[in-house]
Amino acid sequence: MTSLRRYLQPLVSPPVFDFWASRFNAAASWDRVLAKVVARRAESRDAVTLELRANRHFKGLRAGQHLNVTAEVDGARLTRSYSPSLLSADGRHLSITVREVDGGKLSTQLCRHTAIGDVVELGAAFGDMTWADAAPGARLLLAAGSGITPMISLIRSAVAAGSTLDLDLVYWARRRDELCFVDELRDLATRMPGLRCHFVLTRETGLREGEHEGRPSQELLQRLVPDHAQRQVFACGPDGFVESVRELLETRVSQFHSESFTPKALPAAVTGTVRVELTRSRRTLEVPAGMPLLAALESQGLAPAHGCRMGLCNTCACGKSAGSTQNVVDGSTDAEPTPALRICVNRATSDLILDL
Amino acid sequence: MACATKSLSPAALEAFGAELDALRARTVAKIGTEDARYIRRVVKVQRYFEVAGRVLLFASIFPPAWFLGTLLLGLAKILDNMEIGHNVMHGQYDWMRDPHLNGKTYEWDIAGTGDNWRKTHNFKHHTYTNVRGMDDDIGYGLLRLFPEQRWRPFYLAQPLVAIIFALAFEWGVAIQDLELGKYFAGRKSKAQMRAEWKPVSRKMRRQIVKDYVIFPILAGPFFLPVLAGNFVANIIRNLWTYTVIFCGHFTADVHLFPKSIVDNESRGHWYWRQILGSSNLRGGKLFHVMTGNLSHQIEHHLFPDIPAWRYEALAREVRAICTRYGVPYNTGRMSVQFSQVVWRILRHSLPSRPARLPSVTPLAA
Repeated sequence: MTSLRRYLQPLVSPPVFDFWASRFNAAASWDRVLAKVVARRAESRDAVTLELRANRHFKGLRAGQHLNVTAEVDGARLTRSYSPSLLSADGRHLSITVREVDGGKLSTQLCRHTAIGDVVELGAAFGDMTWADAAPGARLLLAAGSGITPMISLIRSAVAAGSTLDLDLVYWARRRDELCFVDELRDLATRMPGLRCHFVLTRETGLREGEHEGRPSQELLQRLVPDHAQRQVFACGPDGFVESVRELLETRVSQFHSESFTPKALPAAVTGTVRVELTRSRRTLEVPAGMPLLAALESQGLAPAHGCRMGLCNTCACGKSAGSTQNVVDGSTDAEPTPALRICVNRATSDLILDL
Repeated sequence: MACATKSLSPAALEAFGAELDALRARTVAKIGTEDARYIRRVVKVQRYFEVAGRVLLFASIFPPAWFLGTLLLGLAKILDNMEIGHNVMHGQYDWMRDPHLNGKTYEWDIAGTGDNWRKTHNFKHHTYTNVRGMDDDIGYGLLRLFPEQRWRPFYLAQPLVAIIFALAFEWGVAIQDLELGKYFAGRKSKAQMRAEWKPVSRKMRRQIVKDYVIFPILAGPFFLPVLAGNFVANIIRNLWTYTVIFCGHFTADVHLFPKSIVDNESRGHWYWRQILGSSNLRGGKLFHVMTGNLSHQIEHHLFPDIPAWRYEALAREVRAICTRYGVPYNTGRMSVQFSQVVWRILRHSLPSRPARLPSVTPLAA
């Protein structure tokens, strides 16, 4: 198959192949990782789980890792990271749990409109919130909100491997109906002797059995997991949450791994400087935020490809993998990663990563 | 030739530019689902036309199949080159972030490389539209279409040269950026020429092998009819693109500008130059699609990165703005516009002199 591919490569135009292949199987592609939605269910008041079946280009992932998921919203493709759980041994059947974010375009699309049979594109797996199942040592998992998704993946994988580890999960949410996987976690705990799950609610009146209240604190952790200082800690959640547990624990525990969601960069002032990372030339520069990027980079001695300098010829367009920009001609802003940013008419409104 | 245009005060020119900027912003805000659906529909039609054309050519033992197959293949190439390729390469659909519709990487079914086109067309032609010595599309270094171009005896053969150029248009465009004239005049080194020739020849070879070797061989006993069908389909595309493109900038009243015009050019002035350097074609919806909406050459030159199917709606507003500011808006039926092009080709094959200095600036002296 691989060698046949090599011989055919020069003769095949991927867009044409994908067009015709998708007539027969929506997730077929010459070289892209596409996945079909095969099932969906509500996971909590505001979260939905989508089960995906990826095509043969998917290289798989380890429990706890993230994956970029791309879907189309209003004609434009949007990409966000999710932590999937693997559901099959061949590594191509996986599930993602998406929490609907207020005003979040992709999460709203995936939670409300994505139907069985729809196709999403997947990126390569990344992230190191992961461990080898055989590695010894007791662990403590701290999750808040959507931070539960890498944890459920790690726990499912540990249970499936018959792990004998000591594993405590402390899972925060505001209210009970925002918790995901509660029944599944309780069930998993009966199948893995070392696994204990603690649910902590910050804005619920009337706690039930197995539930606790309060924000992350020394005292709360002491009560729930008395030996937490001897644990390897994995924390995932919003920035504020991860920062507060880091302050509490980082210096006191044997290992501290964390991942947080980066909130949308807020448009910065027109004044001041921003940091621009250029991935291809491996440089990082401070440039003034008010100036169109092309001029700003040129003033630092760089010579990016360009043409008209007025935003029409597309010669200067380059990829932007992170950060937000504003078009100085029409004032429109763009906070999404994009393959084509016209640097001659866009200025930075946050730190940026450019494919230059 | 160049007709007198009403002069504008600096304030009026600025207001004119601001109105077009506002029109642009209003349109950009509307871009979304509808545009994505439109371009995907065109891609779908193009793919079906191409397959239907090639399949019919394989059945060309039956003569009507040959004619229909050739026609469909020609139409497929026209759609690929104009409404899809040309417009996608302008970045009109970059906002979709679809890797198959990315303006920087799109490659089309024609002899010239997408990369050369992005340079000669997107940058040079669109930025310096009809500026002598900067826009290589003025006669493509081969034809004399304006009296301001210096006459040489070679141009006596222009009527014949223009026909050959039309038939072989894709090959002319393919070598345009090599600037052979410069090379033969000794102003371009052999090494540079060799480096530039490499990607150009690779693309040419690919096109030749595809249309004149692989598909004819796949047809087995119908090798020759398929080869002939592909050849004619390419010619149909060449003649059509040539006609549409020449109507866009070489009709009777379009202006030619001297280099000095681009110094410190304001946005309003740039818009003004784009309108005076372009001309539109009237026609129905299908006609506009088949020209890749280059029938709205004026709107395309004002807003080259706005999805082209929107030009028809934009044209009404652009025309109203032009009327308000007294800027001439050049449009007409294809038969009329193209006969003006033919007249230019014939007239300027003989020595000619500019009637008078053309107005090069909209500003009142």
